[in-house]
Amino acid sequence: MPSLLPTFLLAFTLTAPVFSLASPAPLAASRFEKLAAQADAARAEDRVADAIRLYREGTQLRPAWSDGWWYLGSLLYDQDRFSEADTAFRHLLSSPAHRSPAYAFLGLCEYETGNYGDALTQFRAWANAGWTGTADLRDVAVFHFALLLTREGRFVESLYLLASAAPRLGDLPELSEAMGLASLRMRYLPADFPPEQREAIWLAGEAALYAAQTHQEFDRADEFAARLESRYGAQPGVHSFRATLYGFELKRTEAEREFRAELEISPNDVSSMVALALIDLEKSELVEAEGLAKRALDADAKDAEAHHILGRVLLAKGDLNASLSELETAKQLAPGNPAVRSHLAMVLSKLGRTQDAKAESANFVVLKNKQDVMASPEEKLGEKTREKAR
Amino acid sequence: MRNAVLIVSLAACVIGVPIVAAQNAPTASKQSVDQLFRAAEKARDENHDDEAIQLYRSVVARQPESEQGLWFLGTLLYEKQQYPEARDVLRQFMTLRPDAGPGWAMLGLCEYETRDYRRALDHLQHAMAAGMGDRKELAQMVFKDVAVLLTRFERYDDSLDMLLKMLDTSTEQPDLIEPAGLAGLRLPLLPAEVSPDRRDLVSQAGRAVLALQTRHNEEAESEFHQLVTAYPNEPGVHFLYGAYLMESRPNDAVPELKRELEISPTHVLARVRLAEALIAQGDFDQALALAQQAIQYEPKRASAHMMAGEALLAKGQAVEGIKELETAREADPAVSRTHWDLLRAYGAAGRKEDADREKREIEKLSQSK
Repeated sequence: MPSLLPTFLLAFTLTAPVFSLASPAPLAASRFEKLAAQADAARAEDRVADAIRLYREGTQLRPAWSDGWWYLGSLLYDQDRFSEADTAFRHLLSSPAHRSPAYAFLGLCEYETGNYGDALTQFRAWANAGWTGTADLRDVAVFHFALLLTREGRFVESLYLLASAAPRLGDLPELSEAMGLASLRMRYLPADFPPEQREAIWLAGEAALYAAQTHQEFDRADEFAARLESRYGAQPGVHSFRATLYGFELKRTEAEREFRAELEISPNDVSSMVALALIDLEKSELVEAEGLAKRALDADAKDAEAHHILGRVLLAKGDLNASLSELETAKQLAPGNPAVRSHLAMVLSKLGRTQDAKAESANFVVLKNKQDVMASPEEKLGEKTREKAR
Repeated sequence: MRNAVLIVSLAACVIGVPIVAAQNAPTASKQSVDQLFRAAEKARDENHDDEAIQLYRSVVARQPESEQGLWFLGTLLYEKQQYPEARDVLRQFMTLRPDAGPGWAMLGLCEYETRDYRRALDHLQHAMAAGMGDRKELAQMVFKDVAVLLTRFERYDDSLDMLLKMLDTSTEQPDLIEPAGLAGLRLPLLPAEVSPDRRDLVSQAGRAVLALQTRHNEEAESEFHQLVTAYPNEPGVHFLYGAYLMESRPNDAVPELKRELEISPTHVLARVRLAEALIAQGDFDQALALAQQAIQYEPKRASAHMMAGEALLAKGQAVEGIKELETAREADPAVSRTHWDLLRAYGAAGRKEDADREKREIEKLSQSK
């Protein structure tokens, strides 16, 4: 079973150290080259303490030595000496060859040293730079990125990242725990949730993990979800999680029942109201759908999905201008959501604003293709399920 | 804080005396570091821990590769429950002394306290592999933490093995009740993570498991009976009882394992053990069906393939049976029952060379035990 302990990254694919640095003085160059060779030899012979000391000396002598910083950072990281590794990796941000994976390592180092805001910034920079790195680095970095998104309350994005890693990582306890936290919408990291919540988190995590496997194992997911509900049914978030699972399984009646049960416990739960509004919309029960969407907006006027669903309901009712207004608001609140653009394009087209509709259609395609973290896991997993059903 | 006094007493054992602070430092600097070190040692001897910590920090700042400075600083910080800083200092120490078993132990204990459980398990296992000399108290702490962490990472059988080893030597058996209960019920929680309304269940299961492991059979029977009576619908309870009965009264295990499958329909091990019981009763068709379902859930589960192989052989399907047994052997070569099955199957199929190889494997396994 693979571990998410990021201690295997030392063998990260690198080119051999290069010494093509500008005009060193001959004596210094000679000393530097000797040091570099000694450092490489120590690393190759697994004399870690010596290698760290020699790379330190080498980088002090020649601060532009990117490969030296890289190996120094990697060795320190491999020793779990994250604060020191962080300092080394920062020297790589000016190196085009190393910058992108350095973001990932910096995110991991900041995470381990408890600088969670900075860690998130580094992971976002890494994502923007194209998520580069070996498969191992990507898995570890994506996992920690997701943990931080959960801590930020961005549960859907977190679950999307975790679910995308699940088929590769399999039934890994750490992954299950991370999915449990996000599934129950708990804004905690694995090291700081209340210990008595562990069983609920484990049960939710196992259910989510089995549902997210390539060959979705819904019977196993359901068993854990049923245990969760039986033990912790009075706890906020449990019924909405169960409902979401039912949604993946296309069991709409059960999903609706669970969302309603969630609202009994958490009357202002926006995501449950939005989900119920969507179910009503799909059943063409537009009055109920509109009522729920408005109730959701009363609870949180800045919820993009609530504006989105209200816009869709108004579109279905033929109230195009009101629909446009809601969808524009949704777009402002969630500019990366492709589904909002798609519905905007529909409304604009019906309003005769052909050029604007085309522009939004184009935006939809770009966002959809980008497959960025804003993509909804419900959408992804729902798509998979529908494919399977077909 | 757990056993802090014990920790400080370890110091000299790990790094040895006399103290040499800075082998390669310039004379003036060396003198200064030596003075600081002596002052730190004096403060530590006089139990002025805060002062000692400050002085050791100064030593380490001037001489980052001072093994003694790092070790004393790390252990004192642990004693003061400053676990994150102690951990960071001990990580530096371990770069210099990866051979130091007690160092891995201290680091793992810090990581346990900071809830970095994967690293804690890894490093405590390093400590066990490297050895902790004659420091029994430390070794017991490490063993117990490893056992509870193995359960948290869903390695229940390994955890039970560890607990069994501890039972041979431990005088603190009550401490093992909850860990044994959690491993027996296959609940991946630390004892501290058990909610108050679950403590009775976990303790009851733990008492039953410990009674069984210490061969107090009457007591075990009574504890198991109380467990299934008090918690008839709890997942894991009937499996645990059924697994116990498999050793003593296999026929009685069947209804318990079936009941577990009613409560936990996707329970893989309940299927495997039920298949085993049904093979013993001669119901090979039903056993095969259960084993195949278990394989569907967990294709890499060696015991499921072994049961499928045994059922197929019993049904006269030798080729398919051997194939399943070979898969089981590949998944877990350390199970002697698979090799015995294969030895008989190869023998019956006239494959003498293969049978001889299995015989050698069985001998090797029995020697290693």
